[in-house]
Amino acid sequence: MRRLTPLLWIGLLAACTEAPGVDVPARAFLPDAARPGDARATDADAGPPRDAGPPGSDAAAVAPEAAELYARLCAACHGPLGEGGAGPALTRLGDRDRAALADRIDRTMPTTDPTACQGACADLLAGLILDTFSQDPADCVATGVPRRVRLLTRREYANSLKDLFFFDQVECAPATFRLDLGDRQPRTVHVAGSFNGWPGTVAAGGLAMARIGGVYQASADLPAGRHAYKFVLDEAEWIPDPGNPLAEPDGFGGQNSIIEVPPCEAPPDPTAFTAGIPPETRPEGFAFETHVTSGRVTAVHLEAYLENAERAARAALARGGAWLPCAAAEAGCPERFAAEVGARIFRRPLTDAERARYAALARDEGFEPALTALLASPGFLYRTERGAPAGDGHYRLTGHELAAALSYFLWGTTPDAELLAAADRGDLDQDAGLEREARRLIASPRAAEALGTFAVQWLGIESLPTAAKSAELSPLFGDDVRQALLDQTRDFVRAAFFAPDQGRFATLLTAAWAVPDPRLAALYGAAAGSPAPDGRAGVLGQASVLATYAHSDQSSPIRRGLFVRQKLLCQDLPPPPPNAGGVPDVDPSATTRERFRQHTDDDFCRSCHQYIDAVGFGFEAFDAIGRHRTTENGQPIEGGGDMNDVEGLGTGTRAPYLDLATLGAVLAESEAAPACFAVRLRRFALGAREGVADRCAVHALQARFADSGGDLRDLLLALVTSPEFTTRVAEAP
Amino acid sequence: MSNGLNRRRFLGIAGASVLGLPALFRPARAQIEPARRLIVFYFPDGVAGPSADGEPSLWATRAGAPLPDQLAALTPHRDACLFLNGLSMGGTDEGSHPGGARKLLTGADGGGGRSLDRVLAQTVGADRPHRHVYLGAMANWNGASGDKHISYPEAGFTTPPWDDPVEAFERLFAGQVGPAGPDPAAERRRRLRLSLLDGIRGELADLKAGLGPGERARIDLHVEAVREVEQRIQGMAVERDPEACGQGPEGIDRGQLYAPEQFPAVLAAQTELLVQAMACGLTRVGVIQASHHTSELIMSRFAGTEMYDPGFDMRSHQASHYGPRHDFNRREFHDYFAQRRWFVQQYARVLDALAARPEGDGTMLDYSLVLLCSEVSDGNTHAHRDMPFILGGRGAGRVRAGQVLQADGARHAGLLAAIGQAMGADLPRFGDTGSEALPGVLT
Repeated sequence: MRRLTPLLWIGLLAACTEAPGVDVPARAFLPDAARPGDARATDADAGPPRDAGPPGSDAAAVAPEAAELYARLCAACHGPLGEGGAGPALTRLGDRDRAALADRIDRTMPTTDPTACQGACADLLAGLILDTFSQDPADCVATGVPRRVRLLTRREYANSLKDLFFFDQVECAPATFRLDLGDRQPRTVHVAGSFNGWPGTVAAGGLAMARIGGVYQASADLPAGRHAYKFVLDEAEWIPDPGNPLAEPDGFGGQNSIIEVPPCEAPPDPTAFTAGIPPETRPEGFAFETHVTSGRVTAVHLEAYLENAERAARAALARGGAWLPCAAAEAGCPERFAAEVGARIFRRPLTDAERARYAALARDEGFEPALTALLASPGFLYRTERGAPAGDGHYRLTGHELAAALSYFLWGTTPDAELLAAADRGDLDQDAGLEREARRLIASPRAAEALGTFAVQWLGIESLPTAAKSAELSPLFGDDVRQALLDQTRDFVRAAFFAPDQGRFATLLTAAWAVPDPRLAALYGAAAGSPAPDGRAGVLGQASVLATYAHSDQSSPIRRGLFVRQKLLCQDLPPPPPNAGGVPDVDPSATTRERFRQHTDDDFCRSCHQYIDAVGFGFEAFDAIGRHRTTENGQPIEGGGDMNDVEGLGTGTRAPYLDLATLGAVLAESEAAPACFAVRLRRFALGAREGVADRCAVHALQARFADSGGDLRDLLLALVTSPEFTTRVAEAP
Repeated sequence: MSNGLNRRRFLGIAGASVLGLPALFRPARAQIEPARRLIVFYFPDGVAGPSADGEPSLWATRAGAPLPDQLAALTPHRDACLFLNGLSMGGTDEGSHPGGARKLLTGADGGGGRSLDRVLAQTVGADRPHRHVYLGAMANWNGASGDKHISYPEAGFTTPPWDDPVEAFERLFAGQVGPAGPDPAAERRRRLRLSLLDGIRGELADLKAGLGPGERARIDLHVEAVREVEQRIQGMAVERDPEACGQGPEGIDRGQLYAPEQFPAVLAAQTELLVQAMACGLTRVGVIQASHHTSELIMSRFAGTEMYDPGFDMRSHQASHYGPRHDFNRREFHDYFAQRRWFVQQYARVLDALAARPEGDGTMLDYSLVLLCSEVSDGNTHAHRDMPFILGGRGAGRVRAGQVLQADGARHAGLLAAIGQAMGADLPRFGDTGSEALPGVLT
């Protein structure tokens, strides 16, 4: 067989890092490049890989073919937007001669296979580099996201059911007391019992009874269980309830009346209604479940949707509640049911045909089949982003589409009544009305719910509950600890966004925090409520992150270094070459840092690992489950790392650091980290990768975020009021 | 689960019973009768193939010689297997695990197109209640998605398998077991569901308005799903034997589906489940995916195996980077080799399960095809040549079982085309190069 020679890889890396004659400028950010070979086929945005256009764009200003070639052949090293990566940036070549550039591409690129792009291919790419990448971002115009439909994620589906049918509200009937005294009217009558401490007076907490229709009455929400009570007249005369046969001796020769309070009806767990729906699919390198074009319905999905719709409809009707507009027997109720319940489920008014169909179903078959049909309908499962013509080939999302887009992004659920009313009134057709509603949603505590999901997917810690840990560590890292760690990070990110005195990007990386939960005291070596020790700050010091980016039985400077590069800086590196060798042998007398020294002693390895290991070594004071340590295998831990090249690979800067709080500060003060964060939040919101044609919009978002000083809530507002959020273009044929 | 099936009580849906059929489908009439089913058995991270230093493959099989040690578990089934040496998946992305996974069942160099299992599901498999069954063991672990899954219902798009055998059993066999006779409630539910599906079809057509081709294709997949589920509901009225077609998996802790200690039991349960579903006529096309590429599966926690070492975590992908040479003194290679042997043993269990069930005048193995595959050849070099394909089963006499096929450099799309043809599909060519059936596979 032909060997895959290390030489080829050295050649690639040398070309990437030392391309002669090309400046390597500092850059604002580096969205993660598709890995070699991954660029086209892993991104399901683009349909058949060979025909892949840049996702999320119609490339009106960019030849689609050139963009496709670029994504397939170049992006892995030069970055998806030409901003550079393992290879140099292509954004400052505007003065080059096209023919000469084409010739160079023809002869030398891509370095892995210089024959892969010759002639017309090379010319197209030269044109793209000169015409598009070298253009000042301030001069270019965003092209937009294609008209599309979005399948609800399982989380959105469950949250929608909860809000549609008030599944989160506990149903409790209050306990009621009645006492008929005939004509007698004491000054006061109150209830005293085991539930309120047998108070002798109303002032002491007795439940006062009011005379209504000649009968003394009171009601109260009592805890479930058995309670003893008496009525007290004029705060002096204690009598049992004459209308209640249940009684027991009171220990003083009399009787106490007894009331049995049934438990409140437990609300159904909405996630029970997502049973069997397969997990969301995401392309490699796309962290979020919101990826739009991966949302596809197979027979497995469809059957699960049918079953869940049946069960949810049954549960909703059994509970009843305010969502039902009328009683089934009422004249015209099927029509009202279809129109009113249908509009809430579909997040828009139904068409006449839809209304007629669902009303007929309710009338002829019953409300449960009609509700089942609404919940299994594409009108519920998909939210459209088709828009209405707005000139210039653009389509502005309708008010109802915008209501759904706002609500699912900011709240993770179906629009509330107020938002739907705003859409009905046409308020969202104007930017002012849209912004007003967006501000209302951002200011609401419900925004934290959706942001919790963003937090765990942004950091890539979703799989913490099932991450394998060694037999030695597992007892210290049980299910409850893992859950508490996820909660900690979610709550921390939510607070960074929404706590009244917070809202800055830097908080995510630098804020000091206290151990939030007694279950984490042992892991953090500090009691709940006390400040986290050992230089832990921001998300970097949280064990959810440290344990995720580790092996089962040892730390991993590689994973931790790559975590910083890829997740926090959007700087991607090519995958390791095939014959790279795995984790160095475990040496019972050496530290992890010593074992990995080969990476930096060997020229070939160093070409990439100079960007990974130096960063990751700074995490070595934390073991495979994120506990602090000062020794490993009897050797002292050599502390500190170097956040080198923070603004981009090859920029040559150094930033030595001793603890994670300092690393967090270096990142927070960089241009690259907030710029990367904006790109990540944009992915979560739009459910698509950024492509060549989106570079203007991306730059605009990053610039606003930087100008605001990293204002997180303003970033949310910027996203939802941007043309990328509010308008669509026709999908390229 | 019980392996023993009661022949006399074993019923399938109309015409699909594998027992009690007259000897119509004996291998002697193989030229006109296609293979009845295909199982794809995938395991991650390749085999001990040609090493980086150029040592020969420890996988390649030679006619007349004993099977290589990695394949020893197949010795009892040697006559029922076609061993393919030297197939290539093409040069694009050579050296990449995901690159290999994208090609494996699509036959497309660089990825693209539907995978063979999906093509067959929508053609020759469309007469079964489940056109396609995709079962996994820890295949969705750590959020595995995208090209960590090998089955492509559409170009560039995978869907996750069922990792939970209990759930898979319930979904496959739901409504399949029960007494005959009219049950008015069930009948009404069926009728309502069919009407509901009809409504969905109409709304999906409306949904396409104004959308481009990529978006319309997504909706078309939904329409296809409507058709399949409709057909399944219409076919539900058939009585089944609870003993033969109702054996759910036992002893699986559903709370520990991602504990490596339970991986062998889950994989065994999925194997048994798929074979049972096929025996009961529920499906013709199934894929079993054991873990996923670049697997973090800690195989040193498999009790009772030669890999077992509770004090040391050895993962599949970690072991696969065993170094430039086949050095059994190096722990990674020693364990990697043992892991590969274990995966082949699990593949042999599929063949065992088929061979244990009578069909026609032989066993199910005589009428089935079972493809063994991984996404790279050697786990250290990640090469896409010398791929470790084995085609088990006699496929109703349509394939040359018991042979070794030396296919140096030929594209594996030809093997996929041949499998498609053996299954009776109208599939003269397959893959991006339009490969015809690989010579030497079909009889």
